Amino acid sequence: MKLPPGVKPKEFSSALAEFEQAVGKQWVFTSDEDVDLYRDAYSPFLHEAEERVASAAVAPSSTEEVQQIVRTANRYRIPLYAISTGKNLGYGGSAPAYSGCVVVDLKRMNRILEVNEANAFALVEPGVSYFDLYHHIRQRNLKVWIDCPDPGWGSVVGNAIDRGGGYTSANYRNHFDSHCGMEVVLPNGELLRTGMGAIPNAKTWQQYKSGCGPWIDGIFSQSNFGIVTKMGFWLMPQPEAYLRCTVSLSHYRDLGPLVETLNYLENARITSGFPDIASPLNGYPPIGQIQLLFENGPPTMTEEHKKLLGEVKLGYSGELEAYGLKAGIAYWELWLSFHGPMEVIEAQWQAAQRHFAKIDGARFRIVDRLSLPIDPAKAEQYHEPEFGIPSLRAFSIGARTPWNPTPSKGHMWFSPIIPRTGEAIIEANRVFSEAARDLGMPLFGTFTLPACFWERSFIFILATPVTEDPATNKRYREGFQKLIEIGGQHGWGEYRTAPVFQKAVMDVYSFNDHALRRFHETLKDAIDPNGVLSPGRYDIWPKHLRGTQS
Amino acid sequence: MRPRSQPTPKRLQAASIAAVCGLILLAPAFAGELTVAQVQGRVVYGKWCAPCHDPGITHPGTHALTVKYQGVKSGVLLEWTDLPPAMVRMLVRHGISVMPQFRKTEITDAELETLAAYLSRNTRQ
Repeated sequence: MKLPPGVKPKEFSSALAEFEQAVGKQWVFTSDEDVDLYRDAYSPFLHEAEERVASAAVAPSSTEEVQQIVRTANRYRIPLYAISTGKNLGYGGSAPAYSGCVVVDLKRMNRILEVNEANAFALVEPGVSYFDLYHHIRQRNLKVWIDCPDPGWGSVVGNAIDRGGGYTSANYRNHFDSHCGMEVVLPNGELLRTGMGAIPNAKTWQQYKSGCGPWIDGIFSQSNFGIVTKMGFWLMPQPEAYLRCTVSLSHYRDLGPLVETLNYLENARITSGFPDIASPLNGYPPIGQIQLLFENGPPTMTEEHKKLLGEVKLGYSGELEAYGLKAGIAYWELWLSFHGPMEVIEAQWQAAQRHFAKIDGARFRIVDRLSLPIDPAKAEQYHEPEFGIPSLRAFSIGARTPWNPTPSKGHMWFSPIIPRTGEAIIEANRVFSEAARDLGMPLFGTFTLPACFWERSFIFILATPVTEDPATNKRYREGFQKLIEIGGQHGWGEYRTAPVFQKAVMDVYSFNDHALRRFHETLKDAIDPNGVLSPGRYDIWPKHLRGTQS
Repeated sequence: MRPRSQPTPKRLQAASIAAVCGLILLAPAFAGELTVAQVQGRVVYGKWCAPCHDPGITHPGTHALTVKYQGVKSGVLLEWTDLPPAMVRMLVRHGISVMPQFRKTEITDAELETLAAYLSRNTRQ
């Protein structure tokens, strides 16, 4: 049996006995075989001693059991690490940030406590997956949509507190922003409810976010200040209809005006669905259609087109542009979607066209007009999450396909946030593609486009593969760290990262001699003086471990 | 998500009665039909495996296996006739390629036995 660092065998045995008393013997896992199930399936330390692993795991089924576990951990100074569904693959999975932690596996806390159709909100426990919530809603024929990320087996709560995103409307795509009210077990075992939930017998916990006084919900995301045991979310009323359209532009210089126009239209709520930028001339699909690349192969191209692409710089050459004009292939293609009453979304599309028509040569096309709800048999033709339908289709990334004969062992996501301008897209491509080439990283090829998950910024989401070869993985890890550092030098930072890179990422957030990190540490010392909760998560270490970890 | 052969309520009822009487666990209730354990395993399959392993290349597991076996055998797990229970247990608890392992809070040992019974139903043992 593994031991948490600094904990004596006798103390650990006593703690485990108390855990067993709290949750039942069958839900405390200590054998190597069982604890191995908590390894990060996509660990960048595959086959290496530095892999971060648990000492044991305990799986409570209620908030009260979580409180008992946390109190026991304080008594024996046992480091805990909380996971929701443990499916945060590419960002750490079910493994701790600090080796030797006892994983608190919240998967058994899987109750959907409320779905309110009349005011479109839900209250769920952390073990509830997007699939669970989706099926619950469908089985009851409730007229609300969830907003889900690509892998549907993730936790609704976990994804939000790791600040993940989805694909419907801007006001739901940011999963943390669309939450409303939390219940949290604090590091001393005390129970806290945020927002209106702080009122005993609250009537509007999921209907008004901030309550009164400091709004503290943010400190329980990407942190280790508490274990979230319930969380509310606003849902999207099921729209009546859907319109999917494209705007095609012919010149490289059109990227800036395209983004500027899109920003106005989305920020003014004239477009409603997930906007997606592609470059047919660069062979780059919209992110919502990347799965088609893995399912059906790359787009077909003439030999001339391929040759020209091999000679471009930052996705541009005059010859490529001329070829696009001659062959009728757009340089940029913006995929827009609208949901709402048909008469409203048709009018929104008209307004959008009027704005884009200011860009010389803009061409417009309606791809789909659908009445909703979509026929489930038809949903497969689309990127399901754009209809609030969870799936696991995105796992075609990395899996064996005719175009990827050597499947990977996982991936780590490089995901910097950049300004939402055409200039920033080109600048980030310049900086990262040069760096990636120098570092031998398989990222940023001919030209890479960011995703529009967030309202006022772009994000690149790029998978760095985990391979069977430790030397390759080491090179990729070091390259990844270097890319983070280079991004920081340009004022760009990651939005989220796996534990192995959390120090490097937080190092970038260094304004005023790391005032933010120092504030996190002040909070940690105040509310978790024994440092039992998820040490090291997002590089927040308790006092006794500070400076000892890399 | 879409099991290939739905048990009729009558068959299920008969299987349940047989189970209650302690008559079966793995033995078929009717020749060519599913045992109670296999019916339970089909539910586990539907929740955990179907999104990646149902028929069609929009299911990444099926696509990967189709490419791997190049027509020698089907890429659809449900059609396999050489999948012993031990192999199901091993793959679920260890994962393979981009498929992660599954914890006991996701698929319990008892559920894994039913899943293995279901996926191995066409395999000679």
